[in-house]
Amino acid sequence: MATVETTAARPARTARRRPPAGVLAAVTWLAVVLLAALLLPLLPGFDPLHGDFSAPSAPPGPGHWLGTDAGGRDVLQRTVAGARASFAVAGLTVAVGLLGGGVLGLAAGWFRGPVDKAIGFATDLLMSVPTLILVMIAVSLRGPSLTVIGALIGLFTVPAFTRVVRAVVLALGERGFVQAARMIGTAPLRILRREVVPHVAPAALTFAFTATTVAIVAEGSLSFLGFGLRPPQPSWGGIIAEGRTTLGSAPWISLAPAAVLCLTVLALNYLGEHLRSPSRKATVNR
Amino acid sequence: MTSPFLGFAARAGRAAAVLLLVAVTALALPHLMPGSPAVAALGVTATPEQITAFEAGLGLDRNVLAATFDWIGAALHGDLGHSLANGAAVTTELANRIPVTLELFVAAQLVALAVAVPVALVSAWRPGGVVDRIATAGAFLWLAVPGFVLGLLLIWLTAVQLRLLPATGWVPFTEDPVENLRHLLLPALTLGLPEAAVFTRTLRGQLLDTLDQTHVAAARSRGMGAARLLLRRALRPSSLPLVTLIGIGIGTSLGGSVLVESLFAVPGVGTLASGAINGRDFPVIQAVMVVSAVGVVLATLAVDLLYRTLDPRIAHGHR
Repeated sequence: MATVETTAARPARTARRRPPAGVLAAVTWLAVVLLAALLLPLLPGFDPLHGDFSAPSAPPGPGHWLGTDAGGRDVLQRTVAGARASFAVAGLTVAVGLLGGGVLGLAAGWFRGPVDKAIGFATDLLMSVPTLILVMIAVSLRGPSLTVIGALIGLFTVPAFTRVVRAVVLALGERGFVQAARMIGTAPLRILRREVVPHVAPAALTFAFTATTVAIVAEGSLSFLGFGLRPPQPSWGGIIAEGRTTLGSAPWISLAPAAVLCLTVLALNYLGEHLRSPSRKATVNR
Repeated sequence: MTSPFLGFAARAGRAAAVLLLVAVTALALPHLMPGSPAVAALGVTATPEQITAFEAGLGLDRNVLAATFDWIGAALHGDLGHSLANGAAVTTELANRIPVTLELFVAAQLVALAVAVPVALVSAWRPGGVVDRIATAGAFLWLAVPGFVLGLLLIWLTAVQLRLLPATGWVPFTEDPVENLRHLLLPALTLGLPEAAVFTRTLRGQLLDTLDQTHVAAARSRGMGAARLLLRRALRPSSLPLVTLIGIGIGTSLGGSVLVESLFAVPGVGTLASGAINGRDFPVIQAVMVVSAVGVVLATLAVDLLYRTLDPRIAHGHR
């Protein structure tokens, strides 16, 4: 796990002029976090809930690489377990957002007119309610489950996905190959499937990176406010919140998971930005 | 000439429809709770009369639409109901807390603008220069830090390590202006600094576009100095997206202020909302939801009007 520390510093240093190195660093970091979240819990002795009472609030060192929290629980193990919660929520968010936004965006861009207007109204409505508050209400009424949190955050990413997809579909409608397909009488569904969806997918998937960071930050915020998974079940926001009271004496309890969260968001943002950048877009669209 | 006014009327109608739907959703919330809200609030020893009175108070005895219209009718007379937790009038509670949240919001916008405008001006004047590259990379890094982490870092740095500022709490401006500002600074930075990154990126991009345009090139060729050119010719036409961002910010700021206010124990609408949600205090939740939606809608309309002032071409349908 020593590699965590070296890769941790790398994304921060990436210069924008050298995308391959930055991309490599971002992908490496995400792979390390994801693999750790998937594989480490399978190891014997992995128990983020187990408290070592002989070493409460121990600073980072051998034995506990990121230190222990006030209950003597290993901060690294809790951070890894928190990654599972964050990525589970993010996966659900992206699935809901892609599906909802994909269907609505395709419909709005394809049919235009009243359908477009109606969908525009629905997404406007969704955007005019404060997201965090609504998810908090739902969690307080229905209980904190990964499914409720992920699905609701996903619902609130639907307007953005819809906009992204709709814009691409509208632009495609003007392009020769779509009009040609229409003119030779290709069935609309076939045009959508064969000509439109393949062109929409890159933009939508690129936005999925953004949606993932939105979900990670939102889940963190919710847990931080006490509306996420119940402690002692670890989640990034929850662990960071737990360390608040000991910020003076044991800052690593909050700051270590906070650093992991920020680096993960940074890596995802960087990859999203790289995929969106004009130089790449030109090659993708050709 | 009538079309802009018609357009505005259509927007207002849409806004009213959005508000109505938010109100219906808010009034429907108690129905979404598993079990009986009345029993949850009054306890199992409640008499049937108490339960009936309680349900009538929340409008649970009528259908949601009827309850919504009753609620709106009362709200228009300034009556937003009474808190289930302490029986206080919700209107009074909101009137006490809205100024705090607004003060925080305005301070955060000032922080964001104070950072973003100078940085964006210098960046756009020499794109690719040292300032531009540092600012671009810095903004990108900055965007990866969520609000609650930033707030925690600020507390750790200024309150725990340097002992410069109070970590939490609030003193009203009318009581002690200096203490008010000391307590305001950290929450305002936490809310404003992430926005500064977004503002900088947006304003820089827009300034680059504006500086390419002929009227700016003409002024430049007449020998207008850099500072004068940027401030007098380029800044105003480039500020439109910022107006939109601030307008949208009013909508999203309530979510952000829930976080920041509870992190710094600021007695604003955000802490009122999270407390009410925790205690399932439906009248307070409903009022906060609808009032914040009204805020979003008014902000959107205001942005629309400001656009027409900042860029007269919009009002005349040339854009």
